[in-house]
Amino acid sequence: MEVPKNYKPFKWDSHIPPGPLKEKWSSHKNNIKLVNPNNKRKHNVIVVGTGLAGASAAASLAELGYNVKAFCIQDSARRAHSIAAQGGINAAKNYQNDGDSVWRLFYDTIKGGDYRAREANVYRLAEVSNNIIDQCVAQGVPFAREYGGTLANRSFGGAQLSRTFYARGQTGQQLLLGAYSSLSQAIQSGKVQMYAREEMMDLVVIDGKAKGIITRNLVNGKIKRHAADAVLLCTGGYGNVYYLSTNAKNSNVTAAWRCHKRGALFANPNFTQIHPTCIPVSGEYQSKLTLMSESLRNDGRVWVPKAKGDKRHPNEIPEEERDYYLERIYPSFGNLVPRDVASRNAKNVCDEGRGVGESGLAVYLDFRDAIKRDGQSTIAEKYGNLFEMYEKITGENPYEVPMRIFPAVHYTMGGLWVDYNLMSNVPGLFVLGEANFSDHGANRLGASALMQGLADGYFVIPYTLGNYIAGDNPEKVDESHEAFDKAEKEVVDEVNKLLNVKGEKTILAYHRELGKIMWDKVGMARDEAGLKEAISQISALRKEYWENVFVPGESATYNKYLEYAFRVADFLELGELMARDALERRESCGGHFREESQTPEGEAKRDDENYAKVFAWEYTGPEKPQELHVEDLVFENVKLTQRSYK
Amino acid sequence: MSNENMTIHLKVWRQKGPETKGFFEDHTMDDVNPHMSFLEMLDLLNEQLMEQRKEPIEFDHDCREGICGSCNLVINGMAHGPELRTAACQLHMRKFSDGDTITIEPWRARAFPMIKDLVVDRSAFDRIMAAGGYVSVKTGNAPDANAIPIPKHEADLAMDYATCIGCGACVASCPNSSASLFTGAKISQLAHLPQGAPERKKRAVAMVNQMEKEGFGDCSNFQECEAACPVGISITAIAEMRKEYMKAVLS
Amino acid sequence: MPSISNALQTTIGRKILTGITGVFLTLFLVAHLAGNLTLFSPDPDAFNLYAHFLHELGPLLWIAEIILVVLFLAHAYIGISIYRRRKQSRPENYNYYNSKGGPSKQNAASKTMIFTGIIILLFVILHVMHFKYHLFSPETYMTTINGEEMVDLTRHVETAFHNIWIVLGYTAVMVLIGFHLKHGVWSAFVSLGASNPKRLPVIYTVGGIVAVLLSVGFLFIPIYIYLRHLFGG
Repeated sequence: MEVPKNYKPFKWDSHIPPGPLKEKWSSHKNNIKLVNPNNKRKHNVIVVGTGLAGASAAASLAELGYNVKAFCIQDSARRAHSIAAQGGINAAKNYQNDGDSVWRLFYDTIKGGDYRAREANVYRLAEVSNNIIDQCVAQGVPFAREYGGTLANRSFGGAQLSRTFYARGQTGQQLLLGAYSSLSQAIQSGKVQMYAREEMMDLVVIDGKAKGIITRNLVNGKIKRHAADAVLLCTGGYGNVYYLSTNAKNSNVTAAWRCHKRGALFANPNFTQIHPTCIPVSGEYQSKLTLMSESLRNDGRVWVPKAKGDKRHPNEIPEEERDYYLERIYPSFGNLVPRDVASRNAKNVCDEGRGVGESGLAVYLDFRDAIKRDGQSTIAEKYGNLFEMYEKITGENPYEVPMRIFPAVHYTMGGLWVDYNLMSNVPGLFVLGEANFSDHGANRLGASALMQGLADGYFVIPYTLGNYIAGDNPEKVDESHEAFDKAEKEVVDEVNKLLNVKGEKTILAYHRELGKIMWDKVGMARDEAGLKEAISQISALRKEYWENVFVPGESATYNKYLEYAFRVADFLELGELMARDALERRESCGGHFREESQTPEGEAKRDDENYAKVFAWEYTGPEKPQELHVEDLVFENVKLTQRSYK
Repeated sequence: MSNENMTIHLKVWRQKGPETKGFFEDHTMDDVNPHMSFLEMLDLLNEQLMEQRKEPIEFDHDCREGICGSCNLVINGMAHGPELRTAACQLHMRKFSDGDTITIEPWRARAFPMIKDLVVDRSAFDRIMAAGGYVSVKTGNAPDANAIPIPKHEADLAMDYATCIGCGACVASCPNSSASLFTGAKISQLAHLPQGAPERKKRAVAMVNQMEKEGFGDCSNFQECEAACPVGISITAIAEMRKEYMKAVLS
Repeated sequence: MPSISNALQTTIGRKILTGITGVFLTLFLVAHLAGNLTLFSPDPDAFNLYAHFLHELGPLLWIAEIILVVLFLAHAYIGISIYRRRKQSRPENYNYYNSKGGPSKQNAASKTMIFTGIIILLFVILHVMHFKYHLFSPETYMTTINGEEMVDLTRHVETAFHNIWIVLGYTAVMVLIGFHLKHGVWSAFVSLGASNPKRLPVIYTVGGIVAVLLSVGFLFIPIYIYLRHLFGG
């Protein structure tokens, strides 16, 4: 494949500490600059988003003494989308004595990410994973336990060890409520000022440094200014660019995108995780997709009929006419292959015409054999709530009829570029959790998102923020600074502009159209022609949007469709960048599968020589293409191998 | 199960804001697919309203998988609608019949002030949590997670109470608008865990006092909250809260 | 920590007080019924002797009566204030309201506690005026048993329950007391800390049985006396 060679040298420093991998984080902590406790209270920090990363960061920084202002778009900090994570959280505790270690967790994560993440960041993540479990247990998170009273673990997609801690199928909820409870305590003590239903609309950059944000109150539409010494963006992922995803309806890219437009690099935007076990789409009206935890693959067997177009009831299809394709193709991992592999294989069998259900866009996940082996009550104890949820949504009983599942957009590994300190290239702007690009490479392993969110918030940012504040000794700025005037005016103008289009088409119609382009052309498999088409289609759609969208109501009241209009406007810009990023990366890796780059057996083929790199995009102005910068990934500790799960 | 579209008549509560008077607005939809979720039906209605240049109906929603606790609709007089253990977002139209009339009202309680249409302010819950719904443990201060074994049945019980999604259906469905199930669930969760022990008394008193201050009503043991709770939290949470509170006061 | 008196004024304290007073009032009803059943004792003087015995307790009886009145008024006062707070807690009521069923204990009994309670309150006042102070009978009947003169309460009761209207009134109120107890007994257990989910249905059933036994026990007396009178017992 043609390889572009005209990359400019990367002008930013990733600030990876020197020294052996295992000592980088501890030596960095030893060398980090400290802020005098008495001075911490003189510093204001803004935390945008109150999911795992945001809530844990806000609470931890408040404990250290900083003045924190926390913002969320939901009506309560507790409703951030981390709450919906089901399966679990990884840690290298090795409580099961099955040979786990920090190294192994690191190795699995970086390999699972198809070697597109920085070694140092990932190693640190594995290193602090154990502290997270300790912290959460101390907060009263009711993790599952053994009869002896110790913590229980389970194995999770892609891992051959039992290192996943869980609280039924609601691990994200329990961890978030733990972080939220710490945040609540900080609010009570007055160290955190909480702003719910308040959306970040812009980043204020003064002399090249992040100095505050502009927000819009979602109840009364008031635009407000907030100055601070640092801004922490913990606003999650942007999977909703696909319209249908497992993300909450209000999850969006707006805060991150506004930062991008103020100079923050957007890294690897195309890296999207398509989760293999979701409930299939049932009709045009569908507003979101529901994930069924991947833990189901521990006991469920994935299959489709061997014959094309076999419309028999699944229970009438005899064993020898079923194709347990994951077990067939990947004998050693079977149904537990990583998410990207499972998703792509589901797509392949459906493309072959062997998909099931009315739409033909689904495969079976069958518990018949597990129920036979362990009994229904054991299966119910493990997955009862998931089965119940499935039945609520589909009206079918999975104890009797195999579940139908299909891949759906779930998580975005891409995000704002950050250095080892989680600081973006805009000094003072830190990016945590799913909003940054740093830890999962081109594919995230199951039960690692919760780990990263909490690692960033509890155990990384409290150190690295101090390093910035002590080192930089940020100059105080006032909310009357002209940069705030300008940013505020731009937001007000944008509100008016959107409300005054008064076009013919609804916001949702545009979002759906964008989603379809993204799913078809920037989805599970991408090729050059499709990506080029996507770029021009999205660009045209965006133009039309600003001429023909209908935004109802006014700005001074609660107006959810006005919020939505901003978010779709930003998705329409992001979508194009994702397609360009996918186009430029002429290799397959992780969740990014380029038709042009596959092995003879149809597996993803990486091109490490040319693409063991981070693609970071710089905004250059409205309606101008972003400029691509490339950071080399250096692997000193792991040997890059083609992933094989056979 | 039929896949035929249904006709549904809706009576939806509309209210511009806390100061204006609300009213029921009638709508008839003749293209409701039985596999739609209840909120997708409202999405569709809003699309149709906007196509006619009318203001859409405001309602809170987010995850649409029954865990974030955003959705808050009283459907046919029942918080989250007729299905037990189901949040409104997980309710599907197949549970209704062709030609049905469905009423939709907001959560109604003094402690949940009206914002607009079906959207209310539930920040009272956050203040109850902030009063004491936590274990004071500074980041980095925790002992090894396995240092304190917790019997499985205690951990399971704590988890039963911890599953509360904070939606407020308990308040909305309670004839007295009591928040006892919400408050009790958190107090009970932490009462069953050794981590909660040091602040046990302080917590019970502080959370109950805040609940009183917010203006929620008394609990009369109707158990309607448990019926309305999308995760089925047992009213034993309330009994435990009372014990915790009285133990704290009497000791 | 709040003082105990402050604690008792919270929604939790009030509910606990309601429960405790309710338990004692229920125990009183049990004792009252046991006393009443002496009407059917083979010894025709048993009921009068029992009444006379109580009367002779003198100051002890007064103390018991005062305690009973306090329990009763406290129970009623808290019940009314819970009802008033209910109105304040939801200034704008639902236009449509339905119970969701399932574990809900919303039923004719639980939803009418305030009304059955007020009727019971009024009834008790009338009842005491009727049988203790004989305000509705022209004279006080006396009798002599074992040489001692005492009020012939048996005759008062018999006379009263030969009147169909009084019988019907009593019956109605006893049914309402049964309703009140059906929710009340259950509620008292939960208010006083019954927290085992498996036992909750058992408690509710026990509450129902207590309600039926006391209600039927009390209303059996006027009906039996009336029927005996009608068919010449």
